[in-house]
Amino acid sequence: MTPRSPAPAERPPGEHEVKGHAFRDELSDPLAEPEEAASPAPGRPARRITWRKLVLLPTVVAVVLVLTYFWITNVHLDAIARNSIDNGNVRLRVWQHVKLTAISTFWVLIIAIPLGIALTRRGVSRAAPLVTAIANIGQATPAIGLLALLVIWLGIGPGTAIVGMVIYAVLPVLSNTVAGLKAIDPQLVEAARGIGMSAPGTLGKVELPLAVPLILAGVRTALVLNVGTATLATFGGGGGLGDLITSGIQTQRMPVLVLGSILTVALALLVDWLASLAELALTPRGLEVE
Amino acid sequence: MGFWDYLSSRHQQLLTDAFQHASAVFQCMVIATVLGILIGVVSYRSGWGSGLAITTTSTILTIPSLAMIGLLIPLVGLGVAPTVVTLTLYGLLPIVRNSIVGLRGVDPALVDAAKGIGMSRAARMLRVELPLAWPPILTGIRVSTQMLMGIAAIAAYASGPGLGNEIFRGIASLGSANALNEVLAGTLGIVVLALLFDAAYVLIGRLTIPRGIRV
Repeated sequence: MTPRSPAPAERPPGEHEVKGHAFRDELSDPLAEPEEAASPAPGRPARRITWRKLVLLPTVVAVVLVLTYFWITNVHLDAIARNSIDNGNVRLRVWQHVKLTAISTFWVLIIAIPLGIALTRRGVSRAAPLVTAIANIGQATPAIGLLALLVIWLGIGPGTAIVGMVIYAVLPVLSNTVAGLKAIDPQLVEAARGIGMSAPGTLGKVELPLAVPLILAGVRTALVLNVGTATLATFGGGGGLGDLITSGIQTQRMPVLVLGSILTVALALLVDWLASLAELALTPRGLEVE
Repeated sequence: MGFWDYLSSRHQQLLTDAFQHASAVFQCMVIATVLGILIGVVSYRSGWGSGLAITTTSTILTIPSLAMIGLLIPLVGLGVAPTVVTLTLYGLLPIVRNSIVGLRGVDPALVDAAKGIGMSRAARMLRVELPLAWPPILTGIRVSTQMLMGIAAIAAYASGPGLGNEIFRGIASLGSANALNEVLAGTLGIVVLALLFDAAYVLIGRLTIPRGIRV
């Protein structure tokens, strides 16, 4: 990854950066009210999960879903449109989509984090440039092309879609794990070894906790990517909400198309929201930027 | 039919598709770059303004592209229109984010010095702040372009232009002799285009990043 921002010291207080994404603490707004930012009593840590973060997005999504429900139950649907919505088909597609996302994310974590750890160990790290080169070409490969090739190779079905999703989402988690582990001050690792911690002990108690914010950011990216790639599973007979969207386009039934799209958007936003909460909750306290 | 035979017998069609793919991505990138830098310039000074800009664009990026296209079809119809709107929207985030980060990273002392020698607000922005913030903005443009290459392929499903058509033709004729050739030609074509664009950006970086701040 190329550096995208200048020295972190020039960043305003309350903002921090993870892999080029600038994040801003919701509570402090140093540019607008510099006195306010200094006022909270020192020693009392700010609440990491604010009410606004907790409530705003799910409320908006819930309202949109309720409105969509009323609209779809009242709009006139002909036989073709009803056919693709009735008989629990919508529920089935949502469930398939969630399953595809969950299973592929699970495999991504199982593969990418150990691989990332291995690539930063002495001895194996010589393979790192090779992996980076493969990763760069992989990043340029369109998801739909990759999926189509896998379908030709492995046949249609949800399994193929999951393989494609895993290949596609391993990258961000892998590169973030490597970046997170490499960014650790070598003196900390040396100090840990110096007080007599074993190599695995250093990894588990010092290195990994320090790399957690970047790893979690990668996991969040992978989750969001997977929700998106899961919509393409339909082209390989893997089901999911992409089914509603494509059948809406093919049969030119706008209600089906819009319903599928809205459900997909809602799912993506909710997954991203859950991941952002997990990110906040799992970051070690000592690493929080004041 | 082997892959090379396929390429030589269909090169006309493939070149047209590749050209349309590249030109769609390029034109949308131009719009996204202009809009993105404008949004960055307008919002980087205010905390909530830039927060709003980044939150909005990253929310758009969270939306799966097929769903975005699905929501646009009832509004703008099939074909080029949803492709252009989708590509432009998705291209915005990295550019907006990096413009804000880049502009904020400019040393205030330099801006002050520019003010001191009598430069106007616009001149300071155009001749001091933007050139200094240009390297991260260019990185944002590169990231956006890579992403749009793949999204443009999906847009072909809504009758958009480009190499995605080749891939979807292959998917539609699964099991036929040419399915693999079609998918492979489309996919590799996009990879090649993405690498060419990336090389072009490296060149643009060489030519446009001010000599004083080159690393």
